[in-house]
Amino acid sequence: MNFSGLKGNYFLLFVNKSFLASRRPATPVSARPIPQVHGRMNHDSRPRRWNTVSGIPLKSFYSAEDVPAEHRRIMDAAPGAAPFHRGAYATGYRTKAWRIFQLSGFGKPEDENERIKFLLANGETGFLMEHDRNTADHCYNVDHPDVLARREDVGLTGAVMQSVRDIAICMDGLPIESTYGHAGGAVVQHAPFALAGYWTVAKRRGLDLRTLAGTGQSDFFLTYLGCVTKQQIPTPAGLRFNADIMEFCSKHLPRWVPVSIAGYNGADSGLNAFQELGALFANAVEYLDEIKRRGSMSLEEAARGCGGVSFRMSMDIIEEACKLRAARLMWTQLLERRYGITNPKVANLRIHCVTAGSMMTWQQPLNNIVRGTLMALAGVLGGVQSLGVSGYDEALSIPSEHAHQMSVRIQQVLQNETNLAAVTDPLGGSYYVETLTAQLVERAWQFFDEIEQQGGFLATLDSGWLHARAAENQHAEFMAQDSGERVVVGVTDFREDISPYEVDGFMGVDDAFDVAIARLEEVRRTRGERRAGDALRELERVCRGSDNIMPAMMEALDAEVTLGEVGDVWRGVFGDWNTPIQT
Amino acid sequence: MTTAPKRILMAKTGLDGHWRGPTIVARALRDAGFEVIMVGMVTADEVVRAAIDEDVDLVGLNIGGHVDVAERAIAAIREARPELPIFCGGVVPPWAKKRLEEKGVEVYPPGSQLPEIVDAARRLTRWQAD
Repeated sequence: MNFSGLKGNYFLLFVNKSFLASRRPATPVSARPIPQVHGRMNHDSRPRRWNTVSGIPLKSFYSAEDVPAEHRRIMDAAPGAAPFHRGAYATGYRTKAWRIFQLSGFGKPEDENERIKFLLANGETGFLMEHDRNTADHCYNVDHPDVLARREDVGLTGAVMQSVRDIAICMDGLPIESTYGHAGGAVVQHAPFALAGYWTVAKRRGLDLRTLAGTGQSDFFLTYLGCVTKQQIPTPAGLRFNADIMEFCSKHLPRWVPVSIAGYNGADSGLNAFQELGALFANAVEYLDEIKRRGSMSLEEAARGCGGVSFRMSMDIIEEACKLRAARLMWTQLLERRYGITNPKVANLRIHCVTAGSMMTWQQPLNNIVRGTLMALAGVLGGVQSLGVSGYDEALSIPSEHAHQMSVRIQQVLQNETNLAAVTDPLGGSYYVETLTAQLVERAWQFFDEIEQQGGFLATLDSGWLHARAAENQHAEFMAQDSGERVVVGVTDFREDISPYEVDGFMGVDDAFDVAIARLEEVRRTRGERRAGDALRELERVCRGSDNIMPAMMEALDAEVTLGEVGDVWRGVFGDWNTPIQT
Repeated sequence: MTTAPKRILMAKTGLDGHWRGPTIVARALRDAGFEVIMVGMVTADEVVRAAIDEDVDLVGLNIGGHVDVAERAIAAIREARPELPIFCGGVVPPWAKKRLEEKGVEVYPPGSQLPEIVDAARRLTRWQAD
């Protein structure tokens, strides 16, 4: 179906009415069967260890003497000043609300464009472009045999964008000159394509790249730990790509966050709170050490560039809020101790959070609205700059329009109705919170040291050491459900055999593949073949040498080189990562 | 009486590399005494070849994409080895779960408990480890 002619209020009304209708019970209440509730019900007799989710033992209350002496000395520091654990900015949300920033995208580029406009119209304050996982993450065109064999999957998790023309359709009418945009490119080998595509569209609109604000991702946690693709450039090539992007941004896009380390993807794979922290900073030092080795740009500028990170917010909400306080403290410590950087404009870590997708349940999915709210609250209490809330249908499908709207509304309620914006670091000074913050910092540095002893972050990805740590925790989490120690409402306990409040899951569109094939053929038929060929050869030449790849990528995208052709260059020059895990 | 352990092939039908779900399930099945062969992301043809080569007693499909793609794999397995039982897990919306169940495929969506899945594997392979 194509709703492109039905934009605006009429369309919204149509969707909302059908949503309500599907929830209106067909039979009168008195005639409906009473649901039987299953699972354990009596909690009082259950054996329980009182720990945080990451295993830190908890007392039943905390006093001043619990706060470690060293931490007590920094407790009274103000937000916006070193060591920044109390907040990145002095006036917090009074002067700047956190950015409402939702993952979005599916189907054809125009489907994604319509959804992004829907979110912006509902009050989203930045936008995020998801690319199709099958094609983008693998740098395959849609006619690659591995994609052809799964044609119905195409467009399910993001729009199919094989050339700058597709990216232009996805960005059509989006106010990129005034709105913070995420170009996509979450997976390392895809980032140069997604970024160069976004920037090329901006240039074609006549915008000065120096004024453009936004981010990419190029995340090692996603690429090499959380969502391991069938083919991927090896980690040293990934490091080169990210350092090239950082250098390119320092020259041409000073307002752009070049790479964004996403601890989220480590945490949702199984790393606990202090492991997520330790591993994230072990990743950051790989980037900064590489930039230092190159000596091609200011280290302060590089630190500022990779100081926009993301964490996962999960259900142990006090531990998660403390994790963000710990993260800011650790970044300040790391920059000073390892690189001698104390500039407060660099040392204040800026944090994006996404609520844990894996905490969203398939059963009784409307309960996930509550979970999303609580996890978002943890992020706000911890002082996020930017936040995405998973859809309540996360375990069923990509978000429906209504689920997406709810994710925005949850944040708007928190911003406007709770008075949370009034006071920065509202948990600061709590004996419990300060103690737990200090404990997380201590354990996270220990984990950081373990990674360094393994040869560094990249080495732990190559060897599978980090995957093993994640898998241990996954296993323990499920064993705790088995034993009854971990309760998930509607899943382990309080289960219903029938429920009138079901959610269908979003269906997406069914023409993404056919349209992508047609557009790929059109690009091949109508582009300047000579220029595209020259651009591809130049890209390959640069890859075989040591120059920055991004100028050649910019020319390739402008010359309408396709995604699969870029991927062929990567595969020919860099080969394939030797995956340490069996999936 | 001791019988040789039953063999389970675990495969992903999509090109989505999230490995958390299938890895947890594979470990639980191994802990319960099954031999688990993991082949990662495979097409319909590849999953059939692996099922025959490995002479498995059960196929577990992790669906990380559209149910149509899983159904193509299921049809190919049914054609080659009609008696071979199949079960599925992953992000499966309720309508897709229903469609697969109508085809005789058991579906374990997110939130399924590991003992349920292990019990299903025992039942489908008619095997009880000692």
